[in-house]
Amino acid sequence: MTMTTAHAHTLDIINLNIALPRGQRLLRNVSLQLEPGEVRALVGESGAGKSMIGKAVLGILPHRIKRTEGEILLEGAHLNAMTPATRRSTVAKMSALIPQDPLTALNPVRKIGPQITDPLTRIHGWSHQRALARARELLDRVHIRAPDRVMHSYPHELSGGMRQRILIAAAFAPSPRLIVADEPTTALDVTVQKQILRLIRELQRETGTAVLFVTHDMGVVAKISQKVTVLFAGRVIEDAATRTVFENPAHPYTQALIAATPTPNVSAEPFQPVPAALITELHRETLAADALYAQRGRR
Amino acid sequence: MADVSTNSPRLILTDTNFRLWLPLFWIGLIAAAALFAPLIAPQDPLAQDLMMERLPPFFMEGSEPGYWLGTDSLGRDVLSRIIYGARIALFVSLIAATTTGIFGSALGLIAGYYGGWADRVISRLVDIWMAFPPVLFAVLLVAVMGTGLGSVIAAIALIDWTRFARVIRAETMVQARMDYVDSARIGGARRAATLVSEILPNVMPSIIALLMLEMGIAVIVEAILSFVNLSISSDDPTWGSMIAEGRGAIHFAWWVLLFPLIALFMTVLSFSTLGEGLKQHFDPVLK
Ligand SMILES: Nc1ncnc2c1ncn2[C@@H]1O[C@H](COP(=O)(O)OP(=O)(O)OP(=O)(O)O)[C@@H](O)[C@H]1O
Ligand SMILES: [Mg+2]
Repeated sequence: MTMTTAHAHTLDIINLNIALPRGQRLLRNVSLQLEPGEVRALVGESGAGKSMIGKAVLGILPHRIKRTEGEILLEGAHLNAMTPATRRSTVAKMSALIPQDPLTALNPVRKIGPQITDPLTRIHGWSHQRALARARELLDRVHIRAPDRVMHSYPHELSGGMRQRILIAAAFAPSPRLIVADEPTTALDVTVQKQILRLIRELQRETGTAVLFVTHDMGVVAKISQKVTVLFAGRVIEDAATRTVFENPAHPYTQALIAATPTPNVSAEPFQPVPAALITELHRETLAADALYAQRGRR
Repeated sequence: MADVSTNSPRLILTDTNFRLWLPLFWIGLIAAAALFAPLIAPQDPLAQDLMMERLPPFFMEGSEPGYWLGTDSLGRDVLSRIIYGARIALFVSLIAATTTGIFGSALGLIAGYYGGWADRVISRLVDIWMAFPPVLFAVLLVAVMGTGLGSVIAAIALIDWTRFARVIRAETMVQARMDYVDSARIGGARRAATLVSEILPNVMPSIIALLMLEMGIAVIVEAILSFVNLSISSDDPTWGSMIAEGRGAIHFAWWVLLFPLIALFMTVLSFSTLGEGLKQHFDPVLK
């Protein structure tokens, strides 16, 4: 059964392992928590497995990729103990996604309106009227000037920035407990990036929704999050408060990441790439961890 | 800056319009001929008159009024036979293409979306199926099942479902990887519902284009089967049987061969052009 304890984490990932069919691990013993109303940044290089964590939580892992070990709890409820149908409706009720690419995240042949209201009527059982009113309210909140006209438009009639704002409105519309924002600004140009970031932060504060914010930009981390998880090759190598990470990073990789981030106030400092020796060392650790894991599995 | 980009004003004679209206006009003409054949046809298509055999078309010397496209070697009116032939041609192509399209597209959608063993079974079946030479396959099928409208339609569906299955499978796989599918799933949509309400509308333009192409192909297959005398009972006028009969008389009555051939060619061409035109018309991104 799905028991909910009084003071549960919004999201609790415990020792999660995700693997390809042959056993090649993409996530290695990942644990992370989100408290209600908290923004946690998830950083790491491309291919580190950031998106995989979000997909595992939201139940949209690609066909061949499976959870091999570990637990995911939403508000204290074990997702893995549920039947697929219960799990789908639980995830749909409690969480939402702000995707990376606003070009492909909206169905090109369907109008905007139903794409926002569908989950509201389907999962939350709202009337069509109520869902429409809520969509209008949120579109207005993300500064879409003519909500009704936009809801009757097709995605290709709108700019990338508008589409991303629509996706933000859609994510916040059902008042979810958790939002996974997977690099929501990467596909946009710099000026639009700032607006989008500000919008997410404002809405997050107003609603108190917990946000797992995936990014590889340490500058964004500093602006938006209270906690940081640093991922390397599917492993968590640092998990701390954002302030701590910037003032006193524990892991050399995190130190290197911060050094590699050009900051306006320390612009005199030369740009430092992550040292190759460090990367090699980290890969060696990963291989050792995998060997140990495989050995334990055989026993 | 405006919130919604305005559509550029549409020109009256764009390429798409041309591709849409010209074939639609011809197909409309053929469809009207098929529907109202008894009212339109100037003569009884089966009436033989040995006094009237091999009359030339209206623009040649020796033609008879009322026999606009001439008569064949049994004195039957060519125009009336083409008009009645449109009935079988359109009926067969409509039923055969729809059957083929529904069956093939459904398998393509399932294979492309669910992947795994469903995909392996369907894809293997398609490969094996396509190893048979199609016309031989059709002739064999009709020979086994017996002649008749039902056999012709079944033969077309059994041969050509693979075209739909292959194309729609590939398109479905592309669509299934799009983020909007994930978004719908996170929004609580069931897998089957996602396939029907999110992916199907995106592959619909391709299904329609293939459907039109298939209608053209069905017209040809029916003509081929008539040509080798394996289609409908040989009394009913079909374009294929007219072409077969006309072939023997080409040196002294070329019109018996040429006019049904033109009707066939125009119809097939119209269907495939219309398919392309409709695909663009229905695709909001290409439009
Ligand atoms: N469908 C898939 N099949 C097999 N491997 C995959 C698949 N999708 C991703 N991977 C692998 O999983 C690993 C983690 O991918 P993921 O998309 O989570 O990276 P990421 O940290 O989000 O990177 P990015 O910053 O580029 O988005 C990568 O090594 C990638 O090659
Ligand atoms: Mg990613």
